[in-house]
Amino acid sequence: MKKRLLATVLAGAMVLSMAACGSSNANKTESAAASETANASTEAGAESGETQAAAQDGDASSELNIYMWQQYISDDLIKNFETENNCKVNLSYMSDNADAINKLTAGGGDEYDLIMTCDAYMKSLIAGGYVEELNLDNIPNSSNINDTYWVSKGYCVPYLMNYIYVVYDSETCPVEIHSYNDLLQSGLKISTIDGARNLFPIALVALGYDPNSTNESEIAEAYEWLQKFNENVVAYGNAEQNLTNGTANVAVTYDGNASWAMKEKNTIKVADFTSDPIQLGIDLFVMPKGAKHVDLAEKFLNYICTPEVMAKNLEEFPYSCPNDAAVAAASDDYKNDPARDFSYKENVFFQEDVGDTLTIYNDYYQKLKVGE
Amino acid sequence: MNNKKKKNMLPVLAMAGPVSVWMILFVTIPMLYIIYISFMSRGVFGDVVYKFSTESYKTILNPTYFKVILKSLKAAGITTILCLLLGYPLAYIIAHKPKDTAAKLITLIMIPFWTNSLMRLNSWLLLFQTSGPINNFLVGTGFVKEPITFIYTDGLVLIGLITNMLPFAVLPLYSTIEKLDKSLIEASADLGASAATTFMRVTLPITFPGIFSAIILVFIPSLGIYTVTDMLGGGKILYIGNIIKNQFGSIRNWPLGAALSVMLIVITMLLIFIYTRFAKIEDMEVV
Amino acid sequence: MSKIAKKRKRLNIISNVYAFLVYALLYIPVAVMMVFSFNDQKYNYYWNGFTTQWYAKLFTNSTLVDSLIYSLIIAVLSTLISVFIGTIGALGLKRYEFKMKKFIDNMLYIPIIVPEIVLAVALLIIFLKVGVSMGIGTILIGHCTFCIPYAIVTIKGRISGDNETLEEASMDLGANRVQTLLRVTLPNIFPGVMSAAFLSFTMSFDDVVMSNMLAGAKQSTLPVLILSMNKTGVTPDVNALATIMILIIVAAMILNNIIQGALHKRVK
Repeated sequence: MKKRLLATVLAGAMVLSMAACGSSNANKTESAAASETANASTEAGAESGETQAAAQDGDASSELNIYMWQQYISDDLIKNFETENNCKVNLSYMSDNADAINKLTAGGGDEYDLIMTCDAYMKSLIAGGYVEELNLDNIPNSSNINDTYWVSKGYCVPYLMNYIYVVYDSETCPVEIHSYNDLLQSGLKISTIDGARNLFPIALVALGYDPNSTNESEIAEAYEWLQKFNENVVAYGNAEQNLTNGTANVAVTYDGNASWAMKEKNTIKVADFTSDPIQLGIDLFVMPKGAKHVDLAEKFLNYICTPEVMAKNLEEFPYSCPNDAAVAAASDDYKNDPARDFSYKENVFFQEDVGDTLTIYNDYYQKLKVGE
Repeated sequence: MNNKKKKNMLPVLAMAGPVSVWMILFVTIPMLYIIYISFMSRGVFGDVVYKFSTESYKTILNPTYFKVILKSLKAAGITTILCLLLGYPLAYIIAHKPKDTAAKLITLIMIPFWTNSLMRLNSWLLLFQTSGPINNFLVGTGFVKEPITFIYTDGLVLIGLITNMLPFAVLPLYSTIEKLDKSLIEASADLGASAATTFMRVTLPITFPGIFSAIILVFIPSLGIYTVTDMLGGGKILYIGNIIKNQFGSIRNWPLGAALSVMLIVITMLLIFIYTRFAKIEDMEVV
Repeated sequence: MSKIAKKRKRLNIISNVYAFLVYALLYIPVAVMMVFSFNDQKYNYYWNGFTTQWYAKLFTNSTLVDSLIYSLIIAVLSTLISVFIGTIGALGLKRYEFKMKKFIDNMLYIPIIVPEIVLAVALLIIFLKVGVSMGIGTILIGHCTFCIPYAIVTIKGRISGDNETLEEASMDLGANRVQTLLRVTLPNIFPGVMSAAFLSFTMSFDDVVMSNMLAGAKQSTLPVLILSMNKTGVTPDVNALATIMILIIVAAMILNNIIQGALHKRVK
């Protein structure tokens, strides 16, 4: 019996050591893959091959691991940073805000040096001790960032930001939209952003309540409002696609996404809101607790805060930006973008931590999606 | 005696050992942990607080979840039935081709699955969207005046589910039909049975193990799938898979997600148990 | 007699048309995907004109190609591991009686039953508790965990009683266990092993849930990269890459047929 137990333990150890070999082999196979592409392609490839070789030397600061949204940062920007600092930047991408929060809170966040999240989570992330305090003296260019958009200064560096507003196709949309309540009119086909904490504030504002309400009866009312709203919704997500191909005639979406849709179809306009405030979300970088390449991460943050660098990035990704100097240095195309040509930019609210009330939001959100 | 026993242990350990260890390490232990978490509570920030609570199981009693389960069972059921109806004749046709042709035809079924499933789902959207080729054709030829809304409907979700699941029905069906002793069918025909009678009385009962595994391999995964509904349902259609995924994702209620998973496992086990009263699980085969 | 022949012919035509239609259903999305690899638009939203620029872009966009290579490495490795453990495991579970057998048999059904996300989350928590660092190793464990059960179910179906008699004969003739396994048992169950490999590769290569949960910071698999494009839309260079892949597979199959055909002729 004892022997059998021993054998089982031994076999277990074998499997585990196999797994360990697997993970230590990862670097090898990757660099092999990297050098393969380096050989196959031109200058850019050769460059990454070089940096890869440098990364293999084991110098801690020759490598930077970033977790963020896909299609949100210019490849050229990354390449320039790699050349300037003789390092390798490993980008991996999330498909949901929750992915980043899971990485930060479930553990294993220290495998990354920078993780992108948004302002709404900052308070809890700091309270939970999941993020490192930043030394802003090492990030001098961060002074370009407008303090209005900088929540939890000292723990994060804002990157780009998103107004969640209403755009419509002036050709096919049957009604004028001046407020959230106008979205309940018949004949609308809405493509809207998803998520409990994006949808409920809209309803709460429409009903005249605090968008970050913690009052259950108000949330219940908001749920009823959203049920009516839901009847007009054709899809959650995919706003640009649905607007440009005619599936939807109204969209509740981010200004950056609207910008692209407007370039494809010039009949798309920003709704002229009279008094309802709109949500502003700020995507920012935090340094997870235990990040290993702090110096390089600081250098990277400083780099993206450089006005000229960010200005170039904005050409490729025309989102709103909290970096005033960068916006000033941006191209005319960016400055005259119709997607950001609306008068109520100051009339915004931020998503705040609602604590335990989140469970109530989620219950109603699920009820909304399941339908009665 | 003792010596003999020792001798016999080695091959067992060498052959069944790795799989046993793997299953215990990477299935049993993680699943026990899931059960454990389902009895914990949710922290303010969506983390798991290790304090005993039956809150999650109380939440499940909410009729909302009951409705979702019913909806999911229905969708998975329809998918399974349609996959069987589509797949059985196809498997039958393939099985009656010459051996090397059959092998090629089976490979042809698998090839689409070597492209990314998300890309294939996206193709359905591109094809059926309002200004897509199908609608353009229908409007252009005057069949309809206004483009039809195909996308983000239950129908398109069903097409996505069927095209994703069909191979899992065809493969086991093919393997049992292929093994079928053709002399039995001839004997039945010789004895004067009509083709329909032969099929109902001979072919169908003998290929039942294949049908059984087809049902298991299609029904159960389509019960938990969420990418198809997410992409083709436009976020308006939720099945139990989506709800569970949301608990581990955007909603961040891991104990509830764990409890829902436990419930899903129990329901599936129950269905399989009832099902195995009619068919022996040992008969389950693939390819 | 000719009436029956006619009837049989008609039935044959009907069944071929039917098979064609079902195959069409499976191949329509692939065809659309290939067509849209030539779409002149930043993201694939609707048809906007013809271009070949995405194929050119593939040569400069190493992220996509890297992730494809990474996915292939993972798929091949997890196929090898799953088929190895699956083959000996299927033989062990079918041939021998031992205490845990019933339990292990039941465990094999768990990865088939539970939604992948549940097992992925459970594995993630366990890995974090033990302190394993995420990367190719953790992804491989995840993939093998759902590939092994399918492999075993597949291979078990091929093990029949005949094999056992042959094996006994082999042992009687003086071959040892390993020789018997390699020379007698394995060739006998080879078709099953091949289908297991087929299934494992397909499932691993297309997996997104496990890979997303258990990935490390350094590299993403192709499906995870595609999933992360859902905020903006899938760029047509992904279609271009998938098209090239399909063409390579089809070319390899045709080549294989030609070679086999030639070999066949020579034998004749």
